[in-house]
Amino acid sequence: MNSKSLKGLALCASILGFSIPAHAADTELKIFVSSQHHPEVWRKTFDQYEARTPGVKITIEPGGNTSEAQAQYLNTVMSAKDTTLDVLMLDVIRPAQYAAAGWTSEFQAKDIEKFLPTYTEANTVDKKVVAVPAFADAMFLYYRKDLLDKYGVQPPKTWDELAAAAKKITEGEGRPDLQGLSFQGKAIEGAVCTFLLPYWSQGKTLVENGKLNFDHAAAVKSLSLWKSFVDNGVAKKNISEVATDDTRKEFQAGNVVFAINWSYGWSSFQGKDSAVVGKVDVARLPAVAGGDQATCLGGWEFGVSAYSKHQEEAKKFVGYISSPEVSKYMAVNGALLPTYADLYTDADVVKAAPWFANALPVVETAKARPVTPRYNEVSETIRTTVNAVLAGVTSPEEGATQIEARLKRILR
Amino acid sequence: MPISERDETHLPKWTKWLDLSDRALAVLLLAPAALLLSLIIVYPVARLIYTSFFSLSLTSGLPAEFIGLENFALMIDDPVFWETLWNTVLITIITVPGALIVGMALALLANLPFATQWPVRLSLLIPWALPLSFAGLIFAWFFHSQYGVVNDVLVRLGFEGIIWFNSPNWAFAAICLTIIWKTSSFMALMILAGLQTIPRSLYEAADVDGAGRIRQFFEITLPLLKPSIVVALIFRTITALQTFDIPFMMTAGGPGTSTATLAMYIHQNTVSFLDLGYGSALAVVMFALSMAVTAVYLRIIRAKD
Repeated sequence: MNSKSLKGLALCASILGFSIPAHAADTELKIFVSSQHHPEVWRKTFDQYEARTPGVKITIEPGGNTSEAQAQYLNTVMSAKDTTLDVLMLDVIRPAQYAAAGWTSEFQAKDIEKFLPTYTEANTVDKKVVAVPAFADAMFLYYRKDLLDKYGVQPPKTWDELAAAAKKITEGEGRPDLQGLSFQGKAIEGAVCTFLLPYWSQGKTLVENGKLNFDHAAAVKSLSLWKSFVDNGVAKKNISEVATDDTRKEFQAGNVVFAINWSYGWSSFQGKDSAVVGKVDVARLPAVAGGDQATCLGGWEFGVSAYSKHQEEAKKFVGYISSPEVSKYMAVNGALLPTYADLYTDADVVKAAPWFANALPVVETAKARPVTPRYNEVSETIRTTVNAVLAGVTSPEEGATQIEARLKRILR
Repeated sequence: MPISERDETHLPKWTKWLDLSDRALAVLLLAPAALLLSLIIVYPVARLIYTSFFSLSLTSGLPAEFIGLENFALMIDDPVFWETLWNTVLITIITVPGALIVGMALALLANLPFATQWPVRLSLLIPWALPLSFAGLIFAWFFHSQYGVVNDVLVRLGFEGIIWFNSPNWAFAAICLTIIWKTSSFMALMILAGLQTIPRSLYEAADVDGAGRIRQFFEITLPLLKPSIVVALIFRTITALQTFDIPFMMTAGGPGTSTATLAMYIHQNTVSFLDLGYGSALAVVMFALSMAVTAVYLRIIRAKD
């Protein structure tokens, strides 16, 4: 080999040498982030990742403000096999469906072991890890500490105790706009949890190993319980119009004694627009008489799009944004519940959100809604029936029969 | 010299291609439009009908499978299908005549000799120009049980407020009122255009003959408006059969499924459930329904000619 060709080779090498990092810098990962979960705070963790991983650039695609709006958008994009999205932030009810449709790629089993066990379960379908948790959530019972103290009432352990306490307080206060209990009766996702809370509390499950495991009597009891709250004036008459954020607003305005809501309520209740600052506490949701206290598992997960052209980079990135470090950062700065058990007692987290210490047992025992690819249909069936029962269009007995008939068809 | 005997030998051979018969020319001129229509209408409709014979659900992860008429058989057993179909028909029966009557009144009003015409015309146009979903949202607030203006007025008048969206009948009434408000301006515009083609001299002649206002309306205005009314009715009926936006924004089909329309059920099956097979079968039913209604109207027009 003569010197000339050596020089040429060196030149080539130097060009390649320069061009490889330049090319790698083009790896752009696009992440779909739900708009209601502080994209601006997530952005800071993405900046961190960019700083420590040269050659990767992260851009955010903001989703809608509700889980439904995000699902509508993603359904279209993913059906079209769009390659521009790499990482998807998904409501906990979606990963199973997306995996079945072939829209997300599988993670390794070891990626999921370190999280809270409830999330390991919620993200594993047929022994396949379909997503990893971003942050945790569950439904809580918010209550007016000041009013309960005034009337010498303990936080209720059963729904009957709650109804009695609500009656005592609302009658004592004598304000017509004070509601005893606010929950979700509109035909939205929250109404699915509304149905499941007393149903689960009776020790029943809805789906076992992908098969329907419906208990008619328990379903009638659950629907009757909610209807009785409307009929007895514990909840307001138009509860069938109430969505999750309506509950939040009404409690925040000081018009509700007990409210069922997700963890996001807490920071609003302590915020500057709140009439109930310092008057709120959180408890586990009550049980039916003789049953166990049960709550609904929420939270959002990270999935990697099957159509992403950067599978390895995307998974590495998800590894970072689901790490304890980021989970802690989001707990402190975004008030999002951590996905690791030990973070709930972490000094910095407890300092930023003291009530997280009480939240751990709630999240740990929360139950996941049915994990099935046809979840949307299951959800639609339950929420429209709950709505119809609360509006008095359907009786609890008929409602339970309808749910059973439709679910049988969906989960056949 | 007759054309057939014309000497063509001195013309270049290729010009023969330019000498088209009338039929060939017609085909050639219509071809672009036909091609475009088949791309944007015929192909999608054919594809829809084709898909309706398949089991194709994206959430199942299974490939499409030919199942013949099974989707249609499922439909017959599906109570929600019948409920949404009935709701759709009911909305059509109520809101089409409703919009016609209100629209006619508005058109007659706008046709009065105002000094300045544009404020009247503009106020007629605004509901029509407003997107359907906005109208739905606005009226959802109007009818809100606690913060709505409708209940506020009712309470001030000494009635009890109604929880509109808590009862199927009230919710249905609220939706129909909104649709009539939204669509009567389109009716009015169509009828107004018709009104302005009626020569003033006919009314003058009727005045001379001693016919009163009401007699004039039924003997002159209405018969001469018939073509405009029929066209307006065709458009309005078809859009009524496809009602989606307003109930979707106002009640999302609730309470339960008591105000859901067929279009909403199609949307739910295809977009939310990703069940393209069943969704297509439902859409085929709606397509057939629209075709049938159009055929009836066209027959009425033809009978008049």
